[in-house]
Amino acid sequence: MNAFVLAETENGARELCAGARQIADEVTLFTFGNAVTGVADKCLHLQIPEDAIADDAYPSVNESFDASGAKVVLAEPTVRVTSLAGRLAAHANTAAVPGVNALKDGVATSVYFGGTGVKESKPETDVSVYLISAGTFDGTQATGTDTVEEVEFKAPEKLAVKKGTAALPKSDIDLASADKIVACGRGFAKEEDLQLARDFASKIGAEVACSRPLSEGVNWFPREAYVGVSGAVVKPDVYFAVGISGQMQHMVGCNDSGTVIAINSDKNAPIFKQCDVGIVGDLKDVLPALTKAL
Amino acid sequence: MNILVACKIVPDDQDITVASDGSLDSSRAHEIVSQYDLNAIEAAAQLKEANEGSTLKAISVGPKKADDSKTKKDILSRGVDELYLMADDSLADLDSRATATELAKLVNKAGDWDVIIVGDGSADDYAKQTGVQLACALDVPYVAGATNLSFQEGNLEIQRNLESESEDIELAVPAVVSVSPEIAEPRIAGMRDILKAGKKPQNVEAAEEKPEESIETVSIKAPKQADRKQEVFDASDGEGLDKFVSAVKEVL
Ligand SMILES: Cc1cc2nc3c(=O)[nH]c(=O)nc-3n(C[C@H](O)[C@H](O)[C@H](O)COP(=O)(O)OP(=O)(O)OC[C@H]3O[C@@H](n4cnc5c(N)ncnc54)[C@H](O)[C@@H]3O)c2cc1C
Ligand SMILES: Nc1ncnc2c1ncn2[C@@H]1O[C@H](COP(=O)(O)O)[C@@H](O)[C@H]1O
Repeated sequence: MNAFVLAETENGARELCAGARQIADEVTLFTFGNAVTGVADKCLHLQIPEDAIADDAYPSVNESFDASGAKVVLAEPTVRVTSLAGRLAAHANTAAVPGVNALKDGVATSVYFGGTGVKESKPETDVSVYLISAGTFDGTQATGTDTVEEVEFKAPEKLAVKKGTAALPKSDIDLASADKIVACGRGFAKEEDLQLARDFASKIGAEVACSRPLSEGVNWFPREAYVGVSGAVVKPDVYFAVGISGQMQHMVGCNDSGTVIAINSDKNAPIFKQCDVGIVGDLKDVLPALTKAL
Repeated sequence: MNILVACKIVPDDQDITVASDGSLDSSRAHEIVSQYDLNAIEAAAQLKEANEGSTLKAISVGPKKADDSKTKKDILSRGVDELYLMADDSLADLDSRATATELAKLVNKAGDWDVIIVGDGSADDYAKQTGVQLACALDVPYVAGATNLSFQEGNLEIQRNLESESEDIELAVPAVVSVSPEIAEPRIAGMRDILKAGKKPQNVEAAEEKPEESIETVSIKAPKQADRKQEVFDASDGEGLDKFVSAVKEVL
């Protein structure tokens, strides 16, 4: 059997090709990022024209897929590849299985309702398309040739025009290797109150993180800073959840922490059922007290 | 311009309980609009308000219980003029392709349209696939992840953030656009909006036939929960804060 990998980053290509190798005899990688060698039997590389968006490369992707004879597609869940995977799934008369974090005998395991449940599902169609979360497969296991083939960009009849692009500011947040994290939630009523968390974090040598609304709601934090099902998954020794209610979508990102410590003014907040140590109190009183005492 | 917004009606996950066999029970859950579809509705309402003479209709597909009067009113109180809902138990938990097939039927009933706005992803599956599948079903362009959306000289102007860069995109209509939650903070509807919502047209219908599904659900179970000590102090009782501080000191 052949597998078709759709990826845009080198890490994604490595991990998915390693995964594809476990289920297929032949692996074709399709990428519009940099060509990656040594991970697949063939790397198909497409250069996106300056004024086009990668999402519109779907006629080329679908044609390459048809030519590969593959029945399984593993796709990296970036914004653009997610679009392409959807186009490819529709082309192959199926639906992509989203958020896959384990794959065995065609049965995919995905997060359901932000972590409230775990869903196992299996495509019943001729072709299976899976969107695979980062870290599902071990990228160091990838093997392959140096063959790279250029693929032509075939524009769809109606397409978007890219007028410009700019690099997003790089953040220096490093949650993955932090052993202590102080995470801030909507309990912070004003942006300047975050200083209370920053002071405490610097006192104990912790990174400061947040819940999604503080990053993609009010923009107080970069996207790299939010923890949860659609953000960073972290495993520090100690995780402080400050003004965070403890909804599943957030907790899925920090459930593997050593100790979870909660500060919340609502004694009924769900976080208190998911913490080791907690205090019902106003973060404006509790954080300064901690900073002073430690 | 004529705008459609797709929103999914889902059980509130706060009300979902775990049954003794580890399965999820949402039978007592309230129906709500999927969280990020509220941002999509707001983005659509703002686009409508910025372009005089525009219309905004909502489309939704779901099980019978999605035909919930409070939720329908909620949708219609947020700047939406009219609702098209297909509610039928044969339409429960559809995959993205089947959902798109059904939504396309509603699109065809809702009259002329220029743009269909969909949310970042649904609360249950968070597939980010229904919008692109709908674009395929309707044979129109699709752009995902808009953080800004406007209509200028007959074209959509879109800004979006990818993983490490942003893009400015111009797109001719008709098209499907998915919006990132940060595009707009959902409004809090006032009493007048809610009263007015009750008088707006609702078109509710059953499924024509059970759609063909591509994905079979094998199981849905609650995940294993980490065992936590749950030692909770209260700052309002005298020594609560001190005890908490000592407990934190011990951990660090
Ligand atoms: C598909 C999908 C994906 C999502 N992905 C993520 C994700 O990856 N990460 C994520 O975080 N969220 C995610 N969410 C959002 C998630 O559902 C919640 O809305 C979010 O986590 C809530 O953030 P919060 O706890 O900061 O805010 P809230 O739920 O509003 O909680 C604020 C808390 O602060 C407390 N508080 C208020 N004032 C004070 C005070 N003075 N002192 C102390 N406490 C106070 C309140 O009691 C409350 O418990 C997702 C949602 C969906 C639908
Ligand atoms: N059953 C549905 N009814 C209406 N809109 C839906 C439905 N399912 C998904 N959508 C729309 O498609 C978006 C993406 O959903 P999903 O692909 O399930 O993550 C949602 O945010 C909604 O805007």
